[in-house]
Amino acid sequence: MNAESQEPPSGPAASSEATGPSSAGPAAPGAGRRSFLRGLAGGVAGGVVAGGAAGYYSRNIAPGTDPAAAANEAAVTGRLPAVPFHGRHQAGILPPPSRATAVVSFDVTADDKASLTELFQTVTDRARFLTAGGTPPPVGIGGPPSDSGVLGPTVVPDGLTVTFGVGSTLFDERFGLASSRPARLTAMQPFPNDDLDPAQCGGDLILQLRAGSTDTVLHALRDIAKNTRGGMQVNWRIDGFVSPARPTGTVPRNLLGFMDGIANPAVTSASDMNSLVWVQPGTAGEPAWTAGGSYFVVRLIRMLVEFWDRVDVFEQELMIGRRRATGLPLDGTTIDSVPNYTLDPTGDVIPLTAHIRIANPRLPKYNASRILRRGWNYDRGIDSVGDLDMGLIFTCFQQDIERQFKAVQTRLIDEPLTDYISPFGGGYFLALPGVTGPSDYYGRALLA
Amino acid sequence: MRHRRLAAVACAALAAGLAGCGGGPAAAPADVITVSSDQCGGSWHVAGPGWHTFEIASQGEGGAEIDLIDPASGGVYAEIENVGPGTTTPMTVDLGSGPYAFLCLFSDFDPELGAKVTVPGHAKGAAAIVPLTNGDLIPYAKKYQAYTEAGLKVLAAETATLAADVRHADLAAAKRDWLTAHLQYQTLGAAYGTFGDYDDQIDGRADATGVNSPQWTGFYRLEYGLWHGQSVTVLTPVAATLAKDVSALLAWWPTQQIPLLDVGLRSHEILENALQFQLTGHDDYGSGTTLATTLANIAGTRALLTLLHPLLAPRYAGLAAVNSGLDLLQSLIEKEHRPNGAWVPVSALPTSTRQAIDAACGAVLQSLAPIASITEPRNTAIER
Repeated sequence: MNAESQEPPSGPAASSEATGPSSAGPAAPGAGRRSFLRGLAGGVAGGVVAGGAAGYYSRNIAPGTDPAAAANEAAVTGRLPAVPFHGRHQAGILPPPSRATAVVSFDVTADDKASLTELFQTVTDRARFLTAGGTPPPVGIGGPPSDSGVLGPTVVPDGLTVTFGVGSTLFDERFGLASSRPARLTAMQPFPNDDLDPAQCGGDLILQLRAGSTDTVLHALRDIAKNTRGGMQVNWRIDGFVSPARPTGTVPRNLLGFMDGIANPAVTSASDMNSLVWVQPGTAGEPAWTAGGSYFVVRLIRMLVEFWDRVDVFEQELMIGRRRATGLPLDGTTIDSVPNYTLDPTGDVIPLTAHIRIANPRLPKYNASRILRRGWNYDRGIDSVGDLDMGLIFTCFQQDIERQFKAVQTRLIDEPLTDYISPFGGGYFLALPGVTGPSDYYGRALLA
Repeated sequence: MRHRRLAAVACAALAAGLAGCGGGPAAAPADVITVSSDQCGGSWHVAGPGWHTFEIASQGEGGAEIDLIDPASGGVYAEIENVGPGTTTPMTVDLGSGPYAFLCLFSDFDPELGAKVTVPGHAKGAAAIVPLTNGDLIPYAKKYQAYTEAGLKVLAAETATLAADVRHADLAAAKRDWLTAHLQYQTLGAAYGTFGDYDDQIDGRADATGVNSPQWTGFYRLEYGLWHGQSVTVLTPVAATLAKDVSALLAWWPTQQIPLLDVGLRSHEILENALQFQLTGHDDYGSGTTLATTLANIAGTRALLTLLHPLLAPRYAGLAAVNSGLDLLQSLIEKEHRPNGAWVPVSALPTSTRQAIDAACGAVLQSLAPIASITEPRNTAIER
């Protein structure tokens, strides 16, 4: 894990594999192609009017208002503006973590390539509508309402992004896609300190929803699930949140009490993004359709917070390499200070085993292993001895899982922090290239 | 009984920015339509087709139902039920080109048809659905009642056989005949209180009582005992009570009238229950036969759909998807019926198989959902 994150690389703990339960056998005979959409379409109007709400939000912010205050107000009230859906890359990858997220793995139950294509088109259509907002169609007396109403009569965009990806099991024999498998996509194999639960690992598909508030995320999840019923089935799921920066600043804390996410490659640097995040056209061995996508690692990491809370703060800081109260590196005077390991070769200040030091040794030879790290806290009840089940949804985006995430995570094997964390789920995926316009859909170049 | 009402699209305080309440970007400003026991909307007009929101302001003295209909066919485009006096409620419609009229039904007053208004142009709007009246539905409810009664007669014979098996200490036969009888009961669509208190006695779960309570009776109680090694002495009165309760239900049933609303509701509620209690394994008290129970529920759903077909065919375009969805679900479950006659408990299914079955069930439920709305009896139908 990485309670820190800052360093470019930072890897969380490792992972697993875990075969997603989906390798499934041959599709069901008998009933023919599964028309998981027909039922819905049959009864009522299928269309929606999108886009109506976007202007509403901007109008709520009076001219002259302090933009930061307005953004904060918007976040608090769940009125973030729409994030444009169309683009070369998916829109949910580069922005800093939003307040609320859900990470949901699905297995495909559609039984042939045509049905799979229909599924991807439906996910695209729903994502396009939900991210823009608008009013769902009335159904008259023809059936139950087309929308859950969770966001009120008009769906607000609230900064929703939908990040959709594929796992290695999608490229088995079911859909004839074996020859299109992304070159760097494998199942997640466990690292030495992992405790992976197969039921919470892998999956044919991954969907990450992010928005300004939880109701927006859950509304989107229900909408997408309802409209794709029969085509895919939830495999595992986790919800997460980002805390406000405390006491001030921009860096939120994780549930170990440390600021998390301090350092990352600059998302504004096209060259960094092209060398670290996006699959480039013409990459050796990669099928052409993957260009513009990004390898997406998800690691679900329990934090043993009761144990952690019984540890002296200085020991905590030595494990992390930063001060808990301020986030400063142990050798630094500002939160952005770059640790100077050359001056500290024996770890008298920042121990050689500190998380930030292993994760990012700050040497040029490790630059290519940097990842774009995105972390969310999760909190979901208790375990069998009554301890709290909470921790980190570690996600990262990169061009090459082997070169980046796995290299970082391999360095972190046996770091002292491993005693206080327990990776239990997640998977490796490829976030698909972006949907470029109204007639495009997720995975078109893969499926066409 | 569950009460189904179409959700009126509430659109309170829609704030700045949005043109019409609930309308999409092209929506025109809302028109206020005033209704009372002696005027049904007065004259009104719209500039053209597209999404439109009417604000229905009631000045009547009692409750009312307000519909927007096709005055030619009586088909309903939109409906607001339980409109209270003094209230204003939005009605959002996708208007096409053609004739429209409001229909007002105030309690204790005759239905009143408002002005016929023709929306100009050549655009196609949402389709109207010709509503069903009580009179339309009564013959179908009677047929359903007769279907159920015939099924109960079969069931009564089967539970008598089952009780005799137990009494004669032939527990192998009892297990076999338990399944036969339980599946028969489950084809009858007992979901959501059709059989009143009898359902609790005949097929109640142990959730409220615990498995050791003498209050727990019926099929599941007997299943629990048969598959947990309970003695003939213990189980003989359990089986006898089950047979007696079924006989009592059979005697009671013909005196009842099925609420007309229920006929349509059952079309998805039977399988909603299957997803909640059978496919989860919740109602497996030892026999591991919840997949077989789900098949019985599919059969019960099909019986209802076959019965309702003449009403649904002209009103529901999704009917073919319903049938293919049921076919798929059935074929997936039948694959888990072993050649030796055994059923695979859902807890033993491989994940991929379970996902396929659950996905198929979810999909068919989604396609079944509109039927209850479509077959809701409406007193708003114009006499034709």
